[in-house]
Amino acid sequence: MSVQREFHTKWGMVIDLDKCTGCGACMVACQVENNIAPTPDASDMTRVLTWMLVYKLENKQKFPNYDVAYLPRPCMQCENPSCVPVCPVVATTKDEEGGIVSQIYPRCIGCRYCMAACPYHVRYFNWFDPQWPAGMEKTLTPFSSTRPRGVVEKCHFCHHRFMAAKEKARATGGEPMKLAEDAYIPACVEACPTGALIFGNLKDPTHQVAKLSHSKNAKRLLERLGGKPQVYYMSKRQWVLDMLDNDLGDGSHGGVTGGGNHG
Amino acid sequence: MGRRAFIGLVVGGTAGTLLTPIPWKLTDDASIWSQNWPWIPRVPNGDFELKPSLSKLDNSGVGVNVVTVKGRPCAVYGNPEHPLSRGGISSLAVNEAELLYSPSRVQSPLKREGDSLIPISWDDAKALLAEKLKAAGSDVACVSGDDTGSGTDVFSAFVAAAGSKLCFYMPAEQVDAGRAWQRLGGQGMVGYDIENADMVLAIGADIFESWGTHVRNAQAFNKANPMGGEQAMRVVYASPIKNRGAAVADAWVPVLPGSEAALALGIAYHLIQGGATSGGPGFEAFRSAVRSGYSPEKVQQATGLTPEQVADLAKRLASAKRPLVIAGSSFGQGGGQNAVAAGLALNLLLGRLNKAGGIYALPEAPAVVQGSMPRRQILANDFVDYMLKVGAEQTKAPAVLLAYEANPAYALPQTELMAQALDKVGFLVSFSSFMDETAAMADLVLPTPLVMERTEDMYTPYGSGWVNYTVATPVIAPVFDAVPAADVLLQVASGLGHNLGFESFEDVVKAKAEALNAMGGFAAGAKAEPWKVRVGGGAPSSSGVSDAVQAGKAWVSMATVNASGLSLAKAAAGQAAAPAGGEFPLVLAPLFELNVGSSKVAIPPHNVSTIRDTEAANGHFFVRMNSATASKYGTGQGKQVTIASKTGSIKARVSIDEGVMDGVVAAPLGFGHTAWDKFAQNKGDNVSKVLTVASEPGVAAPFWAGSMVKIA
Ligand code: SF4
Ligand code: SF4
Repeated sequence: MSVQREFHTKWGMVIDLDKCTGCGACMVACQVENNIAPTPDASDMTRVLTWMLVYKLENKQKFPNYDVAYLPRPCMQCENPSCVPVCPVVATTKDEEGGIVSQIYPRCIGCRYCMAACPYHVRYFNWFDPQWPAGMEKTLTPFSSTRPRGVVEKCHFCHHRFMAAKEKARATGGEPMKLAEDAYIPACVEACPTGALIFGNLKDPTHQVAKLSHSKNAKRLLERLGGKPQVYYMSKRQWVLDMLDNDLGDGSHGGVTGGGNHG
Repeated sequence: MGRRAFIGLVVGGTAGTLLTPIPWKLTDDASIWSQNWPWIPRVPNGDFELKPSLSKLDNSGVGVNVVTVKGRPCAVYGNPEHPLSRGGISSLAVNEAELLYSPSRVQSPLKREGDSLIPISWDDAKALLAEKLKAAGSDVACVSGDDTGSGTDVFSAFVAAAGSKLCFYMPAEQVDAGRAWQRLGGQGMVGYDIENADMVLAIGADIFESWGTHVRNAQAFNKANPMGGEQAMRVVYASPIKNRGAAVADAWVPVLPGSEAALALGIAYHLIQGGATSGGPGFEAFRSAVRSGYSPEKVQQATGLTPEQVADLAKRLASAKRPLVIAGSSFGQGGGQNAVAAGLALNLLLGRLNKAGGIYALPEAPAVVQGSMPRRQILANDFVDYMLKVGAEQTKAPAVLLAYEANPAYALPQTELMAQALDKVGFLVSFSSFMDETAAMADLVLPTPLVMERTEDMYTPYGSGWVNYTVATPVIAPVFDAVPAADVLLQVASGLGHNLGFESFEDVVKAKAEALNAMGGFAAGAKAEPWKVRVGGGAPSSSGVSDAVQAGKAWVSMATVNASGLSLAKAAAGQAAAPAGGEFPLVLAPLFELNVGSSKVAIPPHNVSTIRDTEAANGHFFVRMNSATASKYGTGQGKQVTIASKTGSIKARVSIDEGVMDGVVAAPLGFGHTAWDKFAQNKGDNVSKVLTVASEPGVAAPFWAGSMVKIA
């Protein structure tokens, strides 16, 4: 069953793999913004939740012909998501203008079908209740509610920032449905020191992402699966573009930062 | 603006500046109607504000905006108006709000009783400190991990007032660079105009991760390489491992750690052959030193690069319009002076002094604290050298050592020997926000507030191409019983009869702001960008320092100092030489990666998930080498190894990484913490243990890039 629906606004990200240094600022910014509890051991796959995860891609050549690229991976917010139709309780939907795949925690029954369906491993299951070191819960942001055990979660393109941008537009006489390019920027995009991530409306020709997504150097992850991600990757290196056809989760690309807790 | 007005504004500043015209409401519907799990912490409800502050957890010097809800900080964003951030932020600074409640925060003053540290009141702590300092007289030393804040001025003034000269900086890139600049006859500090360069050659210096103003450097790269647009800056990285910066550079040149000076002077050789001359003093001496000590053959032995590769770098530099060379240690310390001096020499040969995209001589901060030691004087002291002598009992350990924002028990080379030397100190005082390794062994621990809990200033961090000054005022009152270190010291000083001229640190900062006015400058912002002003564009109206900094802005000045004393005479010390080999055949390439902490802060809780399972897992960490090196030494992927040097050993597993040069073991700093908390502990070993201090050729100062190790 296809759930594909067309929207006037299609939020999307273009990630330049030739600019990402793999510094991890985007990952940490995301955790802080969205109230992801810290964990003492990154190799404990039952506890690590990384909505944004930076993979390390290698060209498999020996020194000195070796090359490396870093691939930041948020949720792809697919136009044709495979997670949405499998949810038995409509806890994940793609029905809002903007095309962000939602995750409605109170509805989620934790069956994890969506996790199995997502080819990008962007979904995480809370095997445990989140725990903050004593006092650190006082630094929770108002932006994302906390999630208990038994619930699936994932990147939502900082949906609260979208809501805020619309509200601001309304309050200042702007057009909430036609936001300017810099009106709505997710936390990871904002934090990146090398500007490897840019964000905007893929359908608005005045937004950079609209132009860049059509570049000959742009490509999406696992295009052959037909999910039509709203996240594009760019690189001038052919080996990097070729890698985008591979499954990131098979471990053969090395350097997978956590993220193995999918069913 | 007079002093009185400034005081009012700083105090007003603490009330917070609402930077967003429309506060965001709690906006996500899911957030609202899913607050129905009473057993997990709830998120706060309400509007948020952005309050300007500053991060000093790493060297980047970024101005930040702290997100607060009902006065409580909950997130930190890069400040888009701050020229060292432009909205970017490091993986450390981004969770500084969470660190307010780090399990490692020191929550009250602590004093040693036998093996334990017990809480005491501030009154008792100050009395004990005063008593020990009084008894010590002039037998007192201090070590500071901060070279940009006025806090260190207070410490150096105190030590000087007590009659001691022993004020030190912790080893850092900027310390070596400061000394190298002075050796060439430079006044003030060297600044790098990265934004206006069209080619940057980074020799060793990891400009996007550890060197200087790394967030600003990354932003300069970012803006000059717009996605899908015209490339305005090329970056070439010379480093022993294809590190993070090299991954995005236009070219990577593998070069052995510790041979950065040899590479730079090897390039100088080719430039001189091609007719380059500095036109300034010392050129003849430099040319003959380069010709005799850094011939292509010698440079090949030292660096592992062929003469053609080195000549190619020279060609690239010579053909760029606005090239800039940045040389330093590949791990932000221990690289000595020669590499920096050789890099500066290249800039002089290329005619890049006082040119857009080149180097500038920037004035030092004006001294305001009575009797504080000038930077030049502190740079003349070397903490590693001093501690080595203390350890060897060639020098008596001080009766009192004050450690300010410094963790020498963890971050010094040959750590175990250094910890033994620290043990000899009569009374070790740690002014620290966190229970780090130094606090854990101290006799007195005095908790300092984090920057967002105090008044703090920052003058021109190393790397910046222009003078800048930023002041942070408290965003929140200290969440634990912490008092600013400089305030403690000012009080104790007056009790001891030392007059440092101030009663509070806030007054020191105000005086500094006023003194800076003489330089003339402006408030930086999106419409007043220092790099544009440097090339004559968009001259902003001048503004007083107080006006600028009270709004959380960086105050910037284009002031320079006379650079006519610069000479190449001493820029080519020593001779290019191959690594020593022998019993320890492998060159160690330490890696400085900020996501696992800096020399000041251990892995913060929220950074743990950024550690790959090829970097640390199940209690151990990984050292990296290429497959040829691994098989040569009989090891391989996942195998356990002991890496030993003359001074220590560490245990690790091997991760095969083809981005590491032949004959090199790359090993990440930042692991192996014994203090701190469960987020930092139980992760591998401390690479500093196997860093071996040698004497830098031609300089005779401590040097530990290019430490040699073996697989035991
Ligand atoms: S912050 Fe930017 S450079 Fe750093 S890992 Fe993320 S995308 Fe890459
Ligand atoms: S868009 Fe927001 S939720 Fe998604 S990865 Fe980036 S910061 Fe995280």
